[in-house]
Amino acid sequence: MPKCERIRRELPQYAVGGLQGRARGRVLRHIESCSACRTELAALERTGALIGSAGPLSAPPETWPAISAAIVARPRPHGHPAAFRSWRVALGIVTVLILIIGVVFVRPFHSSSPPVTVTVTAEMEAGDDDTPATMESHLAAQWSTPLADEAAVGLRMSDLEGS
Amino acid sequence: MDREANDLAGLVARARSGDVGAFESLYHSLQAGMYSFIRSQVREAELAADLTQQTFVRAWESLPRLRQDGAFVGWLHRIAANLVRDEIKSGHARLEIAASDVLDDPLPDQRATSPEEAAVFQGLKAAVWAALGQLPPDQRAAVVMHHMEGMSVTEIAQAMKCRPGTVMSRLSRAREALRRRLSSYVEDSDAEM
Repeated sequence: MPKCERIRRELPQYAVGGLQGRARGRVLRHIESCSACRTELAALERTGALIGSAGPLSAPPETWPAISAAIVARPRPHGHPAAFRSWRVALGIVTVLILIIGVVFVRPFHSSSPPVTVTVTAEMEAGDDDTPATMESHLAAQWSTPLADEAAVGLRMSDLEGS
Repeated sequence: MDREANDLAGLVARARSGDVGAFESLYHSLQAGMYSFIRSQVREAELAADLTQQTFVRAWESLPRLRQDGAFVGWLHRIAANLVRDEIKSGHARLEIAASDVLDDPLPDQRATSPEEAAVFQGLKAAVWAALGQLPPDQRAAVVMHHMEGMSVTEIAQAMKCRPGTVMSRLSRAREALRRRLSSYVEDSDAEM
């Protein structure tokens, strides 16, 4: 293939800055010495300028009033700014991580502690003090916050055993 | 980021917080480019105006979800491209553009100073848009964004969701085809130089 023909195939790419390295150097060296290819490159560059000088077109003047009426009639749905959204995402991730840590590390530790045995004595059943009510409230609390209230039940049981 | 981009980002931030005046300024800065971009994809001027309107209304509604103010222009083009695609799928839009289709479209500013200059300019505009109409839609979009809107190859790649190399390839093929189709104008301008 004659050299000019090969270079001319690369000229459009060269004209838009799409050639790099060796390919670019090859075209550059050739157009320095070849006036016909230089003329072709100039024509391609002028074509770009010509397109730019012909446009752009303008939207009809009634377009903005129509947009304005539409955005006033339809209020924007409430959204949060991007920064707030990223904070929400971060907060969600931290919450999930805390839950995972809780399940993986705390749960086995909790299940290895000895089970609490509640012994209901005759005195308790007789209702001569407020122990049953206290136990009931502690057991209810233990249901919702097992770790915290287990300690409370333990303390209460040692009190009962000591008395 | 240059001053113009900074100004644009500032307007985007204000528009996001509900400032309609800032959004109107954004519209006036970008309407010609957006309309031309849409007009390069659909034949009917009325449909192009309608899609331009829908693009800006949708942008206003979705602005709180835009992550980077500086990405507004590319994001706006993606909204427009999606609307055009939906319109073409529905069979309402025609892609071909004839020279006569753009003769009545208003220009963003009056560059010609005399009736003769106006006629020459109108002829050039018609010839360019007719030549554009014969290109594949992707090349047409790339040419309008680069040569008429002044967008960089990187910005176009972001807007069209493709690689910068693909944009350059589309631009080079388009320029080669347009150079042949507009040869009389190219040679005339050569003679004037």
